[in-house]
Amino acid sequence: HGELFGAERLADCGGAPHSSLYTGSPWVEPVLEMFEEISDAGLKAHAPYTVNPMPLDLYSVGQDPVKRNMMLDTYPLQGRLIQVHTRLGARSLDSWGCACYVPEVGNTAGPGTVVSWAESSAVNYGNSVLGMRINRMATGMEVLCAIAGKVPVFGVLTDEGRKAKWHIDVRLSKEPHWGALGGAVGTKVVEQIPYVTGVDQWLTLKEDGSVDGTTMGKLKAFGSATASSGAVGLYHMENITPEAIANGRDQLADGYQTYVIDDAEYERVLSTFNNRWLDPDGDPTAVYIGCPHNTYDEILYWSQKIDKAIKASRQEKLAIPVIMACSILVRNRLLDEHPVLLRDVRRAGVRFTTICTPAFQGLKGMADIDRGVTNSNKARYYSRLRLFGDDDLLEIAMTGKIPA
Amino acid sequence: MAKTTFKGRVVLPGKVSGRATVSRQAFNTSGSYMENMFAGRTDAAPCTDASNEELFGTDLSGAILCTPTTVGSTMGGMCLMGMKAIGVGPQALLFSKPIDTLAAAGVLMADIWKDQRIVTIDMLGDEFLETVNTGDPISIHDDGTVEVG
Repeated sequence: HGELFGAERLADCGGAPHSSLYTGSPWVEPVLEMFEEISDAGLKAHAPYTVNPMPLDLYSVGQDPVKRNMMLDTYPLQGRLIQVHTRLGARSLDSWGCACYVPEVGNTAGPGTVVSWAESSAVNYGNSVLGMRINRMATGMEVLCAIAGKVPVFGVLTDEGRKAKWHIDVRLSKEPHWGALGGAVGTKVVEQIPYVTGVDQWLTLKEDGSVDGTTMGKLKAFGSATASSGAVGLYHMENITPEAIANGRDQLADGYQTYVIDDAEYERVLSTFNNRWLDPDGDPTAVYIGCPHNTYDEILYWSQKIDKAIKASRQEKLAIPVIMACSILVRNRLLDEHPVLLRDVRRAGVRFTTICTPAFQGLKGMADIDRGVTNSNKARYYSRLRLFGDDDLLEIAMTGKIPA
Repeated sequence: MAKTTFKGRVVLPGKVSGRATVSRQAFNTSGSYMENMFAGRTDAAPCTDASNEELFGTDLSGAILCTPTTVGSTMGGMCLMGMKAIGVGPQALLFSKPIDTLAAAGVLMADIWKDQRIVTIDMLGDEFLETVNTGDPISIHDDGTVEVG
């Protein structure tokens, strides 16, 4: 595999692996058989590792018997998948989630650390924001490399391979939807590395140079969309990401191209996001927040926003449920720090879940019964969900109607 | 139409003949097989990537897929392996650019662990995708030669 990309040697992995082998569908069986054979031989990953979200949640979104059966029908091999990950050294299920790098899950490593990760959004965040060195690894290959404890050296594992071939010159008059901006970038640069300027006024670093919780959510939304609309494994953002801070525009490769995103271009991109509901004039049935999984700051932000709106209204409950996707460890922090808020928003109709939103939306028959809206451009790309800004999503949750 | 010949790098050799299925934009593997990956479909593989105007709705079963590269979720490589296993995967992948890490892993894992070959040639050049159209007769040879027409 590495030789196809010019690798001449292997590097030892640091940190801990992250796997995107998470769906126990029949088509995954060849990969399960491969790892069952490996675990039968007594091999394990070089360190306890995290895994993408469970694609089924029988306690939250699975309260609905129709949807519960859809999940059980689609993932008959989920038990085998959990067993093989357990044998290979995966961490416990409460840490399973696509945003493995959030502090509550804590699968991170220092800048420059080489790790074996899959999950496009996690690879993108680890490379870009944390300065780790991670090639985009396919599901399955990341576990093979985790067992070896080594990865081939090519691409973004090298200094030269981290240079940006595109300058993304953002000239917007107001803060964008970060997922929509990322989608525009991914569509343009495809697999190449962008260097983004003109956005740092909307982002905040802490005194130690790391991003604050709000900025983490924005960069997660931006990066995950570059990786789903394209194949971006690394981006640099002027004055924000570590290599852009260290090297400035020297991080741009010779002969780079430029893509200007001004208000007109941004509006053009938004206009391509079509309504793909099977009943395009129907009313929305659910609001999906968090793809990739929410950070703690995001679930706190949304809980406070919803709680304030409910208490300012005469409603006891939201008109339609809000599906809030995060790992159990992230939700537990809200339980620890804001137990009354968590109680109140759950009573209002917020359903905390560990689900993977695109996997849930893709279930057979889901499009016939669900007309969902979301804050995630990644989820929009992979499903029929419609993308809206935060204030519109709140209004939709409160009224059950699309804003005029 | 007259035959046009291209020569690429052999990733996995083999002889395949059939009709081309062309995506001039990068092929989003996970986005294209959503009905098979998450809705359990095994009788066909209608392309589910709505942003791919060339292929959206086209049955990808047994395709000789011609595209610059693959993009999207890291499940894409395993998806190629899994689709092959359930009988709706591509017969061959023909890339104008160097193969990407996801597709490479998928075809290699399928070949090495499951003896299921997806003939794969990369670096066929931009002119290849400027020439080939969906439905064109196409022949792939062991040495990485691809004949269109």
